[in-house]
Amino acid sequence: MIKCVIWDIDNTLLTGVYLESAEQPPPPDPAMVSVLTELSGRGIIHALASRNPPEAAGYAAAAIGHQFAAAECGWGRKSDAIRGILADLDLTPDAAAFVDDEAHERAEVSFALPDLLVLSPEDMADAAGWPEFGPAVVTPEARRRGAMYAQRRRRQEEARAFGGSREEFLRYCDTAITIGWAQPADVPRLHELSIRTHQFNSSGEEVSEAALGALLGRPGHRVVTVRLADRYGDDGLVGGCVIEAGARDWTVPLLMMSCRAIGRGVIDVLLAWLARAAARVGAAVLNVGCRLADRNMPLRLALAGAGFRASQASAAPAAAAVFRKQLTGPPPELPGWVTAPEEP
Amino acid sequence: MTGRRELAGIPPQTPLFGPGVGLDSLAGTLLLRQVRARFGVDVAAEDLNLDALATLATLAAFIEERAGGGIS
Repeated sequence: MIKCVIWDIDNTLLTGVYLESAEQPPPPDPAMVSVLTELSGRGIIHALASRNPPEAAGYAAAAIGHQFAAAECGWGRKSDAIRGILADLDLTPDAAAFVDDEAHERAEVSFALPDLLVLSPEDMADAAGWPEFGPAVVTPEARRRGAMYAQRRRRQEEARAFGGSREEFLRYCDTAITIGWAQPADVPRLHELSIRTHQFNSSGEEVSEAALGALLGRPGHRVVTVRLADRYGDDGLVGGCVIEAGARDWTVPLLMMSCRAIGRGVIDVLLAWLARAAARVGAAVLNVGCRLADRNMPLRLALAGAGFRASQASAAPAAAAVFRKQLTGPPPELPGWVTAPEEP
Repeated sequence: MTGRRELAGIPPQTPLFGPGVGLDSLAGTLLLRQVRARFGVDVAAEDLNLDALATLATLAAFIEERAGGGIS
């Protein structure tokens, strides 16, 4: 599934070459603008990679009327520009497409990044009809995705300039984390999170809307949502989990969080709340089943930080382990910016 | 390395998880990526519970054991 399209500017998004007509740069190509707009509506974000001065990105954004999530303008290799964009947006090459009219640029990028989808503008004109570009559901979070990346950039710029601790920065941002019980209206977004999340996904398996919907009313099961907002914007539903609530232990077969929320205390708060809620109803152990993969190593860091331990001897690839937390002693504290139900 | 400047210069025996440093998953991921890039040691692949991240001293010992003494 493509999450981001990275566009060349000259003779791709524009109908000519920016620097050859600096007085009156060429207008956008209507066919490409139409595809870009259509894909934005489905929650796909857009970026620019161009052999041009940085002003070209500003011109393209203004001419097209689109806020790009990232832009790399310069005279280095296109593949390096694209790597920079992917790192900036926290995406892997297989989640992105690159569009360029120059065959040699496409060849260089294809060779350097074999997992990236590389297309000519002609291909791109009908690529909007391909399944890679067509999520089955378009959630409110997906429609706002482009704007949220721009908010993220402002937040990161302020964080770099901020002198205090991470806690102080989260407080300064007016961070608000809301944990709640999932409602039927949350199911499409939870399904989307099961597909789109990787770094913070314990199972690595898609969960259908039907399966999630069925869990909502099943005895002994709970589905939890986590929402996030701050002074830069409302990220909506960014995470969730499924709980199998036993009398002596709680087991979490699925725990997931959008990488958009990374570094904002969300996963730590969710793990702390789970421990509190489980202990409150008398459970002695909290289990989180976790597939062991390179991609979801950040989740293991969060589990280790929250005091979970797994008993398997080695971390062989593709294996899975159960991470356990004994619920003895005082429950972990929740920061003041968390709103959560205490009683399950 | 972690994107958190206030963590520069912490003593080697300070616990990285928990109050004080409070190594979160973002900073920890950046740290382990750098360890892999600089020393060729994949901590996550070998250390299920990431015990190597208890302190900077345990992390250095873990790397030294596997990287053939290339760090000082």
